[in-house]
Order: sequence, then structure tokens, then C-alpha cells
Amino acid sequence: MPLLENGQITPDRWHVAMDGEPLPEGAVIVPLERLEEGLARTGDAPLGVAIAPDVDVAVLRTALPRLELVAVTFPIFRDGRAFTQARALREHLGFKGEIRATGKPLPDQYEFLLRCGVTTVQTERAEDISVWRQAHEIITIAYQPSTLHERPQGLGLRRFLG
Amino acid sequence: MDVRNNRRDSTGASVITANRLLDGRIVWLAAQGWSELITHARVFDNAEIEDAIKQARAMPEARTVVGIYGVQLDPDVAGLTPLTVRERIRAFGPSVHPDFAPVETSDVH
Amino acid sequence: MSTDTTTLPVGRYAYDQVDRTFLSQRVAQFREQVARRVAGDLSEDEFKPLRLMNGLYLQLHAYMLRVAVPYGMMGSDQMRALAHIARTYDRDYGHFTTRQNVQFNWIRLEDTPDILEHLAGVDMHAIQTSGNCIRNVTCDEFAGAAADELLDPRIHAEILRQWSTLHPEFTFLPRKFKIAISGSPHDRVAARFHDIGLVARPGPQGRPVFDVFVGGGLGRTPIIGVKLRDTLPEEDLVAYLEAIVRVYNAYGRRDNMYKARIKILVQALGVEAFREKVDAEFALMNRADYRLDPAIVDGIRARFGIPPLNAPADAEQTLAASRKADPAFDRWVRTNTHPHRHEGFICAVISVKPDGGIPGDITADQMDLVADLADSHSFGEIRVTHMQNVVLGHVRKDQLHDLWRKLAAANLATPNIGLVGDIIACPGLDYCALANARSIPIAQKLSARFANPELQERIGPLNINISGCINACGHHHAGHIGILGVDKRGQEFFQLTLGGSAGGDVAIGQIIGPALPEDETVDAIARLIDTYLVLRHDNEQFLDTYRRLGAASFKDAVYAPA
Repeated sequence: MPLLENGQITPDRWHVAMDGEPLPEGAVIVPLERLEEGLARTGDAPLGVAIAPDVDVAVLRTALPRLELVAVTFPIFRDGRAFTQARALREHLGFKGEIRATGKPLPDQYEFLLRCGVTTVQTERAEDISVWRQAHEIITIAYQPSTLHERPQGLGLRRFLG
Repeated sequence: MDVRNNRRDSTGASVITANRLLDGRIVWLAAQGWSELITHARVFDNAEIEDAIKQARAMPEARTVVGIYGVQLDPDVAGLTPLTVRERIRAFGPSVHPDFAPVETSDVH
Repeated sequence: MSTDTTTLPVGRYAYDQVDRTFLSQRVAQFREQVARRVAGDLSEDEFKPLRLMNGLYLQLHAYMLRVAVPYGMMGSDQMRALAHIARTYDRDYGHFTTRQNVQFNWIRLEDTPDILEHLAGVDMHAIQTSGNCIRNVTCDEFAGAAADELLDPRIHAEILRQWSTLHPEFTFLPRKFKIAISGSPHDRVAARFHDIGLVARPGPQGRPVFDVFVGGGLGRTPIIGVKLRDTLPEEDLVAYLEAIVRVYNAYGRRDNMYKARIKILVQALGVEAFREKVDAEFALMNRADYRLDPAIVDGIRARFGIPPLNAPADAEQTLAASRKADPAFDRWVRTNTHPHRHEGFICAVISVKPDGGIPGDITADQMDLVADLADSHSFGEIRVTHMQNVVLGHVRKDQLHDLWRKLAAANLATPNIGLVGDIIACPGLDYCALANARSIPIAQKLSARFANPELQERIGPLNINISGCINACGHHHAGHIGILGVDKRGQEFFQLTLGGSAGGDVAIGQIIGPALPEDETVDAIARLIDTYLVLRHDNEQFLDTYRRLGAASFKDAVYAPA
């Protein structure tokens, strides 16, 4: 599926660094082990980093002001560590850039992704965008706070989902 | 799928089973399609069963069932009877509720 | 929205329009997921976690639906809805589980959206009763009624239930997550056998405080939970639990499902290192977002109906007279009731363990009767216990005899609570795809063998727990006598453990020897009980005698009978 943002297909300006090849010009997402190489690039082309599910996002602390994107991943949809990574990026590190979910998340996880601070989704699944959109819209109430700081409903910890 | 599914000896005979997707009922691969009664199951020699299972999984009807695997038969019992307690319970119903033994239903999906 | 607590449902949270909207959206979501599965747009692998999070298992004979009974509380209208489900979509019965839920064994996938819609009509659901997410938060069966309770844990159970519902970060945990909360110094919820166990008591400024235990559990690796935090203030309750589950989600193992519970993580790190991680998260998080303001708690509390506890001044005398006049009733009061905080009231336990019966199974007709009796005798409030029985929590003492007679007529008054006939058993291999052996026939045989009520009282408190496999849904590790079904070359064998306890003196049962074939197991247990009767001192209970003597005499009784 092409890149999804706010329930819409969005053009993708990012390139993913290829193993064993030099970093391309322009916006590039590097794997964590090539982060130093990415930071050493001259010019002001945007830089993003892709992290595996077992990475503690705290390791990105110093580099974060220079990163415009962090990609978290779902090797299988059942591996929910990316939710915690995204949320920690927003809540602990105050990251304001793009958080991209990659790998194999299900459309049914879309609302959870967004509430944990994910902004774009690039999934390997071939899927109709309408399924993702519906998953986002179908439930309008949440029962706990999130990184999106939704409007409290009034009772308990309930929030209105926008 | 449970590790005990598809367990069998190198000799003997087996039948093929699954759960129906829409209602979860146990079914057995029969001459035509899937039956709720093990008495209708096609018997395979264990030398052929792996291929038979592969074929069953590749059939279009496989979309109507979940979890296709083989079940070893007890050679010492008349009639088609699985070897293990677990598969006998699947075939003949819960031992504590004889009134819940499987019967062929007319509204087969 | 009524705030008059005499019209709100007693003992549980009253849904409002917002909750109902959410439930109907959830049903629509599942209906759509089923449609995608049937159309082939979702594989079974992808659909499975989605249906599990609506409580739908594919079991040995059919789909099984596990309906949530939040902290074990339901109302008579809800019980009638369960009876309707049993009649319309199942085989006229349901089953109470060891986590206070209800299960139906003969469900069709294609009916499930309609079933969930019917349940939503009475504010019920099956959300997160399975799957790698936070499950039903359980309380003890006498919550809000027991004389010894320091505070009613159900308010905070409801707060945690809501907080954990469709939690965006915690819906794909390494494994399931179970929370229990007790408001009594006598732990009736087995708090230390849960992933998180909370013990609540009154604290300063009239707000409760919580002791937090973590990393307990049964199953393959039974472990008693450790105390992570003492005297946690109420306002930090949600934040602190959020921190614990965040650490678990990040660090819990995902490579081996048998090593994926939080108890394994706590053991691997050690409690000190685990606590450091939790405290670090607790320090970093936006605590203000998660603060449990007293106003929030009181807002939820205001949605719980309160029973008007008015009894005649001579209620106690009336009860005493009935007891004197009716020995069978007297026995039942001795065994099947629990003291209430109000002197004119009493808690009544409805035994769902008839002699020779299937533990926890209840017919649709019995469900309707229980609903009627709840209306006439307990303000419409019904409690499901984790011992697979039912409690009416607020019965007027002068009306107890009438209740008993009606229960007895429906085979729901067996005087065996906490006694040898009150067997806890999982559904086992007769129903469960995970099981190695059948648990129900052993339960039935034991129950029939020890049916005599005098014998049961003479034996005294004795918890027999039967699990059909190592997943331990029968909580056999916590049984005074535990029975575990194992598979030996496709045949059923049973391993016995002794000396477990889920109470304040929590302990894990010890295996006493090799597993026995099915036809020897019941006799072996009878010999164990005989041994205890012979060897006990004074009024020792089984557990006391075992602890005094150790396993040796009991082992001999099983393996080397004279």
C-alpha cells in the first residue's frame, strides 16, 4: 500500500537507504547503524532513521533535533513494541517530526497507531485505503489519555476521538 | 495450530479433519467435500497422507474451513475411530454430554 | 442521565449514552471484521487476534464465546440476556469461569456479531476476554458486602477496566495480562497469582492507598508475585500501572509464548531492576495526564447503584428460628453464606456444583431463576465468583430461608462451598483445544463420591482444583489438592499436587509423584482424604495437616497404600 497519512494516500518524498550503497541525495531514511553516516552528510536534506522493535528510543536523544522522521516497524502485526516506541518518542523525547509505521500493521490497528503518535503508515500489505479509513473512523470514544491529548469527555478518563 | 495436530506414525491409516469457518464445527474430508461425521471420511494410507493434506489445503473448498490436518486411526477398532483421546472427543463429541454427539446437519454451509 | 443511586443498577457501573455508543461501534467493527474474514480479505492468522479480542475462540467442537462479567458483577437483566443467548445460539447452558466470566461452547462465527449486538443491548460485551491484552479485572465475590472489607474495590476495578479498554499501546502485548484487586485484608482474589495484584485500603485524607504486587501467575511456571510498591496513593494508580505495562510491552519476551508473561520478565531482571525500570518510566511520563483525581473517582462511584439496606430489627432472630426448625437449611447457612457488613443482611452463595455435576455449568432455566431470585432477594445484583459459583450479595436474613427453598428446588443449593464438593475444574479435553486430559469426569466422580453433606463438613475446607493442561485455567497450583491432566502417548494421565493455597498464606502446590492413569486418580484422592482424616489433630483442616506432616504420609497413601 502506498504511504498513508490522515486516512489519505500521500506522496512519499523519502528514500530508504540501500544496504551497501552510499546514501542518496535528498530525504533519506537510514537504519540505526548508519545514523552517524547520515548525520555527517553535508547540506540540509532531511534525515530519518529506522529502528528495530527492540531499540530503546532514548538512544536517539542527541540526534533527534536533527531528525525529521523516525520509522518504527511491525515485523508481524502482533509485535506491539512499536506502539511504545512511538509513544515514548512523543512523550519522553518531545519529538515533533514524522513517525512512520512500517512492516505489517493491520488496518485495525490504525487508530492505536495514531493515538501513540504515529503520523504515516507504510505497510507491505496490499490493502484498500477505505479499510484503513474505516478503521480510523468507526470508533469515536476512547477510555484513556493518549499522546494526542484528545478532548476529555467528562466522565472517568474518557476522550472524544476527533 | 496445536503441536499434537498432525501427529502420526509412519504406518497405518489416517483421515483428514478441520473446523468449518462459519460455525466452527468439526468436519472430515469425505469423498465429496467435508462431512460432519467421521464415518464419511476418506481413509488414506499414511504413506499418502502428507500429499493428501497438501492437496486438501490447495482446494478451493479449503477457504471454507480452518486448520486442516491429519488424524491417525486406531487399527484395532471397527469403524473409523481416531487413535488418541483428543481426536475421539472431536469425532464423537464431549464425553460428558453424549447428547452433543455430532450429527449431520441439513444446513451445511 | 440519572444520578439517583437508587435507580442505578446495584453494585456495578451504569452505562451512559457514551458507553452505549462505544459498544455499538465496537459491534459494528467486529461485524465488519467477520465480513472481511469470510470474504478472504483477512487470513485466519490476521483475523485470530481480532476475534480473540472479542472473546471468540475456536475450540474443540465449535467456537467458544467468553462474555465479560466485569469484576464479576452483573444484573438480573444481563443474566436473562445470557439465558437468551444460551437458548437461541447455544445449547441451553453456559459456563462460569475461574476469572468471573461466562462461556458459551457451541457458538457459530456467523452468529457472533448478532450475539454481541444482543449483549450490547444490556450493556454487556466480550471485549478483551482473550488476546494479548489486559483482561477482565477481577474482584472478590463479596466486594461491597463483606463484613471484613476495608473498602469496596469495584470502583477502582471499573476505573482500570475502562482505562485498559482498547488501550492504544497495550493491545498487542507479549502475552495476556491479568489484574486483580482486593479491598479486604483477607485476600479472596488470589492477588499474588496475578500479573498485577492490588490490595486496597483506606489511606490519608480519606483516599485509598494500594499495595502493588507484580509478576505472579500459575501455568507452566507458577510464581508468587512480589511486592513492587507499598502504599501507592490513589492519584498515582493509573499512572503507575501504565508504567508497569509500558515496561512489560517494551521488554517482555516475544520469541517464546511460554516465556512471555510479565512474571518471566520480573524473574529475569530481578525485582530491583524491574522496579528501577518502572520508576524510571514513572518519572518520565506525563504524570498529569494520568492523574486519578478524586473527582474522577467520585464521578465513577456516582454511577454505581447503592442497595438500600433496610431490614426488620428482628431479621437475625427470624433467621435463627428458621435454622433451628430446619436442619438442612441450617447446614446450608453454615456452608454457603458469608457475613455482611450490615447486621440484618447476609451474603448467599449459590452453588453451581451439584453432586456429580459439571462444575460451573448452569442451564438457561437456572439462569432465569437466578435472575428472578436476584430481583426478589438482592436488588437485582448478581456476582460470579472465580470459584465458578454465584453470589447474591445482599440478602435480608429474614428472607434467606425463602431464597434457599427456591434454590434447592432448582438444584442450586448444594451445601458444599469451600468443601470437597466445591471442585474447581476447567472445561478440559471435552471442550478445550489446548487440553491434554479431561477434567470434568474426574470432577464428577469426586463430587459423586463425596456427596454426603455430613462427610463434607467433617472433612472441612478442602479446595480441589483440576486443570486439563499446564495452562492451569483450573488453578490447580493453588489447590489444596491440585490435579493436572497430562498427555502420555495420547492417553490421559493425572499428576497430583498438594498444599497449594490462593489465600493470604499463598503457596504453590508440590508435585507428589508420577502421574496416574485416569482410573486410579479418583481412588488415590480418596486415599489422600482418608489419610488426612486419620492423621489430623483436633480441628485441623486439610492444609494444616499437610503443612504439619509434609508430603511423605500422603505420598505413601497414593503410591504405596498398605
